[in-house]
This record gives sequence, C-alpha cells and structure tokens, in this order.
Amino acid sequence: MPSDPTYLGTVEDVQGATIRVVLDERTVSGLTFIHGRGYRIGQVGSFVRIPLGFTDLFGIVSQVGASAVPEKLAATQPHGNRWMTIQLVGEGLHQGDFRRGLSQYPTVSDTVHLLTEGDLAKIYGRQDRPNFVKVGHLASAESIPSLIDVDRLVTRHSAVVGNTGAGKSTTVAGLLASLSEKERFPSARILILDIHGEYAKALDDRATVFRVNPSAERGERPLYIPYWAMTFEELLPLTLGLLPDAERGAVLEKISALKSFALLNQTRKGVTGDNLTVDSPVPFSIHRLWFDMHKLVNATHNVAGSGQHAGSIQYLKDESGIDVERGDPLDVRPPTFKPATQSAGVEKIFLSGSSLNIRRPLESLASRLRDPRFDFLFRPGKWTPSAEGHTELDLDELLEGWLGGENPITILDLSGIPSSILTDLVGVLLRVIYDALFWGRNLPEGGRERPLLLVLEEAHAYLSHGDKGPAASAVRRIVKEGRKYGIGAMIVSQRPAEIDTTILSQCGTIFAMRLANSTDRSHVKGAVSDNLEGLFDMLPILRTGEAIIVGEAVHLPIRTLIDPPAANRRPDSTDPLIYDEFGAGGWDRQRAKSDYGELVAVWRKQMPRSENIVEIKEKSKHSKP
Amino acid sequence: MIDALISVESSNVARVGYDNDAQTLHVEFKNGNAYQYFDVPRHIFEGILNAGSAGQYLNQVIKGSFRYARV
Repeated sequence: MPSDPTYLGTVEDVQGATIRVVLDERTVSGLTFIHGRGYRIGQVGSFVRIPLGFTDLFGIVSQVGASAVPEKLAATQPHGNRWMTIQLVGEGLHQGDFRRGLSQYPTVSDTVHLLTEGDLAKIYGRQDRPNFVKVGHLASAESIPSLIDVDRLVTRHSAVVGNTGAGKSTTVAGLLASLSEKERFPSARILILDIHGEYAKALDDRATVFRVNPSAERGERPLYIPYWAMTFEELLPLTLGLLPDAERGAVLEKISALKSFALLNQTRKGVTGDNLTVDSPVPFSIHRLWFDMHKLVNATHNVAGSGQHAGSIQYLKDESGIDVERGDPLDVRPPTFKPATQSAGVEKIFLSGSSLNIRRPLESLASRLRDPRFDFLFRPGKWTPSAEGHTELDLDELLEGWLGGENPITILDLSGIPSSILTDLVGVLLRVIYDALFWGRNLPEGGRERPLLLVLEEAHAYLSHGDKGPAASAVRRIVKEGRKYGIGAMIVSQRPAEIDTTILSQCGTIFAMRLANSTDRSHVKGAVSDNLEGLFDMLPILRTGEAIIVGEAVHLPIRTLIDPPAANRRPDSTDPLIYDEFGAGGWDRQRAKSDYGELVAVWRKQMPRSENIVEIKEKSKHSKP
Repeated sequence: MIDALISVESSNVARVGYDNDAQTLHVEFKNGNAYQYFDVPRHIFEGILNAGSAGQYLNQVIKGSFRYARV
C-alpha cells in the first residue's frame, strides 16, 4: 500500500498531450478514501495530477482498461487492463494559479495522482474574481461551483448544444438570469431571437418582449422591422423576388429616387443627397414604389410609346365623366385605366410603352402589401412612411427599444412571423443590429462600450450547412468579426450537425449537453480546440441538466450540473406529461369541457394566451414570502 | 382583476384567487404553474378555501367540470 492515498500509478508512454499510465498494482481498485471522502479510481472524465518538481500537470482520464494499452504492448500483455489514457490540459504551480497549456511534458515513471476536492477547488474555485459567474456545480463534487468567465463567454461567442429535453432552454434561461443580475451587471445587454416564444415567461421580470401580435396587458411591445432599413439586396427577395437585370435596375433607380425625394421632405442626420445610396437606411414609401411602377407598366395613354407622360394617362370614366378609380398607394388600390383600342383615330388608346416585364412581381408585391401578416414589415407602426416618405419616428427609437431599453434583456419573439420569410428576416435583423453597433463602436451606445450578447435560439432553422442565405451570412460575420466590435453570439441548437462548421468552430465556449446522434457529436468534437475525445464520448449519457463546458470561458473542461432556475422561471418548453401518477397527466385525467371556438380564436390571433384570463393585481413574482 | 391571492393548505396548490365579475378562479400550484378556471360559482371558490385539502377539492369538484386555460 503506497503511503500517499492519492497515488494512482506511473506514466509509461507520452505522445504529445496524450499519455498512457499504468495503474500501480498496489493501488486499490474501486474506491479510495482521502480525508474521509470517497473517490472512485479510474473514472472516465475525472482529473489527475502529475507533479513535476514545482509544477503540477493536470489531465483528464479519457480511457481506462484493455483498449488503453499501447498497441505494441497489446500482444505481450493481453490482459493489461490496468492502463489509463490521459489527455493533458494544463499546468499549475503548487500554490499558484492554474493555466491552460503545457510548458513541459511528463516522462516515463513520473507519478500520477488522483485529484482531491481540495485540488479541484484550487483549480475551479475563484469566486473572488468578479468576472466569473456561477452557473452550477461540478457533477463530481457538489461543493465546488462551476464558474464561467463572462468576458470570454460574451465576446468569444458560445454554443449550447443538446438533444431536445436535455435541458438546453433551461440552461440558457439560467445563464441569462445570472448574466442579467441587476446588482452585478446593471448595464447588461442581451438580445434573444426567440423563434418559439419560450423565454418570455422565464425572464419576465427583466426582459422586454417584442412580438408581432403583442399582448398589451403583459406589457409586450409590438415588433416592427421597417422595410426601408434593409439594403436593396435584402429587400428584393421579400418584395418583388428575383428580377432580371433590366427590371432590377429600374427598381433600384426608382427606390433611389424615392429615397432622395423623401430626404427632401424630411432631413435625416448623417445622410445628404450626396452620400445617399439605395442601401442607406432612409425611409421611402414602398406603397408609392408599387403604385408608380404599377402605373408605369399598366396605364393606357392617348399617345404612343415615347410621347407618354403622366398627363397622357387615360383613367376610365363613368357616365358623368368622373374617374372610376384613381387608385391609392397606401390602400394598395390600383387605378382603373381605359382599355386599349385597336382601331385608329383621334380616340385611340395606346398600351403603356414601358418595356419592363414586371407585372407579375408587382402583383405579388401588392398582395404582400395587403396581407396583414406582413404589416410588421410594410406598415411598421409609427415607422410607416407616408407616400412622401415622411415618418413619425426614425430608426433611433427602434434601436433604442431593442438595444437600450430599461431591461437588460430584450426578447424578439419571432413566433408570429410567416416561416417563408423567417430566414430573410433574421438576416435583416442581425445585419441591422450589427451595422448599428459596428458604426457606433466609439459611442457609449455602441458595441465596444456596451457589448451585446445575441442569443440565437433554434439556430439550425436558419444557419444550415452551405446556406448562402442572409441569416447565415450575418451570423458568419458576427462570429468572425463581432468580437472586435463587442457583439457576441450564443448559438443554441439541438442539431449541431446542421449548423455551418465555420460558425460552430468560431464559438469559443461550448456547452455540450446530452447528444445521442453520432453525427451531431462528431460535429461538436470537431469544433472544440482541446483534444478531448474521451470527454466528449460521454455526451450520450449525460443527465438532464448536465453539461460539459469546454473552451475559453472555463479554465478546464468542466462537467457540470447547471443550476436550474426556480420552477416558475423556466422556459415554456418542458415536456407535456402523458401519464402522471398524481392524476394530472394529459391522457390519464378526466376530459375537460372543450371549446374549439376559443382554440381557433387564439390561433387566429396568433397569441397562445386565452382572452378569458383575468389579471392579478398583486403579481406572484413580486411578493416575497 | 383579482386583487390578491390567498395561500391555502395543500401539498400541491400554493395560492388561489377569485374574480367576482368574471367568475374566474385562479389557482397557482407549488410547481409554479398557474391555471384559471372559468365560470366558477363563488361558493365553489369558498369551498376550496374551507376544504381540508385544497388539492383534493380541486381534483374532485373543479377539474373536469370547468373550462380552464393555463396562464
């Protein structure tokens, strides 16, 4: 029996950061006791310490038993099952700080020791440092908190991956709750793109919610994304679709003209007629664009071809000589023109001489302009331009609502947005936010002075592989360059394999929760910088709420149990119960009275909360027990 | 509008409240979920307050008899 109870064995083989250790024959297998606490020997994922003079090297056990035997010895030691493979991760001075990376290697017959809870606390426990927040505790030792470096977490990007039901949303909600502590981070700035509307409930005391169909009594605000803040490239797919070059050029010219016309009516700081481009975020009336283009290609005239002008347009008149319909841009009502005639004479009516082949795109634009589901885009409240391009409010109010509200967290609830345009829209949102913070980087509102954490929930929906879409390119830009301008992304997904590798590999910190699918796992493994295959082999067997955190925000990879938020602070994504032994499951209870009328009403309203619900004056969350 | 919620004695129900005008019963469970039952007569709300176990009363008298919505 060795005198030091932490003694495990000796180093026998060193290959880069992978070392092989043979367990000492005198080491008791199974359980050992140090200072009255039990430790299991040779647990995959546990840590070991290799003292080398004044420094200690630290490593993670990634393999134990027969397959850990070095290949050359496998023949001579067929039963050599007392081997372990260890991945070295860092070093520390005996009394000093722990550091990632190695300055020296161990060599043959160096001793390997178990890490006691005291050692672990030395590595992980740094609660005194103010830039660390606690997210949970080590899975192996309840007394040791899991601390995360906020600086690195936000600016170096992160990814939270795991199966549905592994606890992703709860983890994110818990993380955001600790990042938005008002006492600690009074100026925290977090923006969540919430595709399913899950987070409003979990964060309702510290978040402002923007929704397409807001519920006023819950304090939600309307989500508007003014079309005129988009670039030409972004606007086109949402309005007219892809156009051939000639038509595209005509539309581009028309928009530029409308923008400079609008600028004459209402000046905007920072932009003049000289630096105005078609992409400048300046209001113009898309209704006017439609109306003018419609007239251009559909109007009939009393003169032919090149002689046509606005005055030669022939509106259809009724018996009393009054125009039947002059049309209205804002109501999206087209004018009625006289039908063209074939017979020659003074009364001959000519078709429009315009050669633009754009009638059908214009019709689909008109139907979108009339569709109330697109009102958040084309009639954005006080940001709707009049036909002259005059708006009541400018972009500053919009950005202030999203980025500078009184609450640290803003939730953009995208659940009411037609799925056909979701990808385009997410791209636009991210681009607008990025541009604003990028250009404002030297101002107190900009990203360098007050960094922003962007939480991209269900990211696989719009960041798929090889996606050239606007969302993917916006996120790619954020993860590549956002660090410099104070824009950090947190990508949350259950299908990491579907996420572009460029994006995933830029995430400095990864919270990997239970992942059963092997493609997903290999994708995540490929994205982490440490050689931690062994640790990531544990992914399929993690418990719910348990995560392996690797990367920049942690000193060492941590296997941690995330502190769940209080029961009433969890996101709206917990599994429904089919059977509940206490009789409240979905299928084993008495049938409730049904009223499908109410169901249809909430569906039509796109608002899951029933209208019948009455408010409570004294909200439960404000009362202290 | 419900003015205040009243704590009750039960293993799973935390607090209840009642809106006289709308005849709506609000039930908050200890796990954090809250439900509202509609068109509940006032005497049933009083019944839940006086019941030995609010949870049991809820199961026997209210669940299945009244329409509800999750809050």
